[in-house]
Amino acid sequence: MFSEKAKKHADACRFCFMCRHLCPIQLVTGKENNTPRAKGLLVSMTSRGMQMDKGFAVTMYECLLCGACTADCVTGFDPLIFIREARTQAALEGLTPAFAQQVIDKLEETGNVYGAKETRVDFTGIPAEGQTLVWLGSAARYAVSDVAEALFTILKKAGVSFAALKDEPASGCELGDMIGHVEDVRQRAQAAAAAIAKTGAKKVIVLDSHDAAFFLHECKDWGIELPEIETATSFVNNLIKDGRLVPQKKTETVSYHDAARLARDLSELDAAREIIVAMGAELREMYLNEKDNTNPANKACGSSVRATECGSSLMGQMRPDLAVKLCENRYVDLLRGDARIMIAADPQATEALRLSIPEGCEYRDLFVMLAGRL
Amino acid sequence: MELKAFMPGMIFDELADAVGGYDNVSVETSDRATYGVDYFWLGRMWQDRGQVPPMPDWIVRPGSSQEVSKVVKIANYYKIPVHVWGGGSGSQGGALPMSGGILMDMKRMCKLIEIDTISRTITAEAGMIFQLLEWHANEKGFSCQHIPSCLTCGTIGGALAHRGIGIMSSKYGKIDDQCLSMEVVLPNGDIINTLPIPKHAAGPDLNQIFIGSEGTLGIITKATFRLFEQPEVRRFRAFLFRDMNSGYMAGRDIMQKVKPSILRFYDEAETASIIKKILGFEKKGCFMNLAVEGIKRIVDIEMDIILECVKVWGGEDLGSDYGEKWFENRITFFYPGNIMDIPQMFGTMDTAATYANIEKIYWAMKKAIHDKFGDKVRYISHSSHWYEWGCMNYTRFIVDPANVPQDPEKARRLHNEIWNTGVRAAIENSGIINNHHGIGLKLSRLMKEQYGPAMQVMEALKKQLDPNGIMNPYKLGL
Repeated sequence: MFSEKAKKHADACRFCFMCRHLCPIQLVTGKENNTPRAKGLLVSMTSRGMQMDKGFAVTMYECLLCGACTADCVTGFDPLIFIREARTQAALEGLTPAFAQQVIDKLEETGNVYGAKETRVDFTGIPAEGQTLVWLGSAARYAVSDVAEALFTILKKAGVSFAALKDEPASGCELGDMIGHVEDVRQRAQAAAAAIAKTGAKKVIVLDSHDAAFFLHECKDWGIELPEIETATSFVNNLIKDGRLVPQKKTETVSYHDAARLARDLSELDAAREIIVAMGAELREMYLNEKDNTNPANKACGSSVRATECGSSLMGQMRPDLAVKLCENRYVDLLRGDARIMIAADPQATEALRLSIPEGCEYRDLFVMLAGRL
Repeated sequence: MELKAFMPGMIFDELADAVGGYDNVSVETSDRATYGVDYFWLGRMWQDRGQVPPMPDWIVRPGSSQEVSKVVKIANYYKIPVHVWGGGSGSQGGALPMSGGILMDMKRMCKLIEIDTISRTITAEAGMIFQLLEWHANEKGFSCQHIPSCLTCGTIGGALAHRGIGIMSSKYGKIDDQCLSMEVVLPNGDIINTLPIPKHAAGPDLNQIFIGSEGTLGIITKATFRLFEQPEVRRFRAFLFRDMNSGYMAGRDIMQKVKPSILRFYDEAETASIIKKILGFEKKGCFMNLAVEGIKRIVDIEMDIILECVKVWGGEDLGSDYGEKWFENRITFFYPGNIMDIPQMFGTMDTAATYANIEKIYWAMKKAIHDKFGDKVRYISHSSHWYEWGCMNYTRFIVDPANVPQDPEKARRLHNEIWNTGVRAAIENSGIINNHHGIGLKLSRLMKEQYGPAMQVMEALKKQLDPNGIMNPYKLGL
């Protein structure tokens, strides 16, 4: 039932405990079955005859797919392979937990995790066709529309001619996270690519790093043709470097949260930081961020990019209780340093980090912050 | 007494009430199954062969010492076994719920309580993964210097429960040297504290009763450790010795004169296998790598003295590269693909002895295993923790897949026979049953052979503290 690849990775992880200290879910729940090794063990047991049950499926959905475990594995094993397949198997066996099924139902009905019919973003004056297309993703379209509008403002101020789709379809990324990269997901990605092609775009600026990683990795693997893909952070940073944007500077101390897919899947660590510096802020790295070179422990073992993920739109919809704990835990990291302003550059991170902001702390979305400085 | 009808559910509700609600308890099969396999080879083999793992009946995740206390009171009332689980990375089966009952997963208790920068101590709850404690210490410019291979997976409580050790032990000590005080929940639910410091003349040190007790006498819930300033420099050096004797003796002389943080000495077989694979070292002989660290001026002198000691015993100086490479890879050794794994059968028979006996033990264990099992059991060894009076042998046996029975019953018998043979050879030659992995289920049956009549001291403690015998049954020979 599981692929040979998934079984191989599960069998490697089932007796290995090396990455459990990095799993953001395990760190807030303390549950053994939230560790990558427990998930590997369960897949391995299932492959050897243990009956899959509802608890198995719950375990597989209590994961952000953030890749902290994968990034840390020095021998290249990847728990995300068998966790995604386990979600597929759970769906095939009719074991998907109710909290996950209601999100899948919304995705299938509306294409977004919120079940929203209308976007909150104001598209007034923005054409639907053009050589440069802004791809927002569902978090910015339905949950944190101020981020989308801030990006529009930034691009307009830089004199960028761009298009955006009021009826932007789902990329397929979120459904892929929920049920694995199955044929249905590929078809959605294909439909998204067709919608992009219809705009005549030569370049797509992608705001949501989940979608950017999905376009660049999964779609590429499937052979789906897309125009040039660039993250919004990278694009905007280049506008600043080219002198097309000159942000007002303000001296303040801030920390930056690396969204997992931006940092780990796309290896993009510098663009957002450079934008922050361009706004005059003094950047203090949170403890164990890869960029925190002051700490020798960072280079001690395993791979880098240890920054803890803060949550995701999917987790917010599936398990709001867990999403709040993840958010709170990230502010604990902030409070370990002397900055009290947390910045992130991804709409899903913004949605997650706005869930529970401790007294004395402030959260800023990078695009919203920059739009206010132009 | 059998629990019938809705009685298990009644206990489940009571446990949920004790630990803050149903989010912190579970009876799900898939949840319980993940506690049935730790790092113990037998548990792993059992799972690999598709057998049903040992499972607890109830999982509880306490969030405080008070909640731990409530759980053990409930367990005592119903006379239900209690197993304590930290990171689950123990190699001796010490956390396996072999008799069902309650499994207490301690990882919710992971708060940092205090860093005392004046006294240089750190205090935290026992469910914290040790790496996180170390990071807290690093953040303030210090280190606990407890750096075991299981740093990222074991908890504070787990390290204490089995008397663990880290790679820096030759300078900074074992966990039982590093722990200053503890909070422990006794089997009757009382919450006690050991004295605030360990160096006193107020009777035996209570710390040393509970450190290494493997959850059989109580549950460690908080602990305070020494902190060390981060070393100004850490210098590595590697050497090659012609035989075991010259390496052991050079190590002794080094330990008498200076305190290296790392001192690792490999027999020919391990030099030709693991050291060759990971470090690319090709020469024949016994490889040694070490590190000295601290203030640069002192370290420079210490390294000169080490070179003099090595020269006396004919060691070849290999420079600093191999030691640095080893240090960079110190955790890499333990990732899947590098570390021994099923379908091999393997085990680490770590023992320790005085310098007068340690080489004798090395050869005695090797001979005993070879005489009984021939070439089908390979034997490699290194010595990685050193003292002024002796050192340990980290002796490993490996049975290649072709010689490992598929039948789980036969595999278990072969495994236990190899262990009995190796450990008895160590004990008969003035060695000890185990140096730093603990006893657990794996070696429980051999504890009486190790202690003889002295075992009654531990049995008396057990009887007094845990009269119902509910705490981690079948472990530690108790």
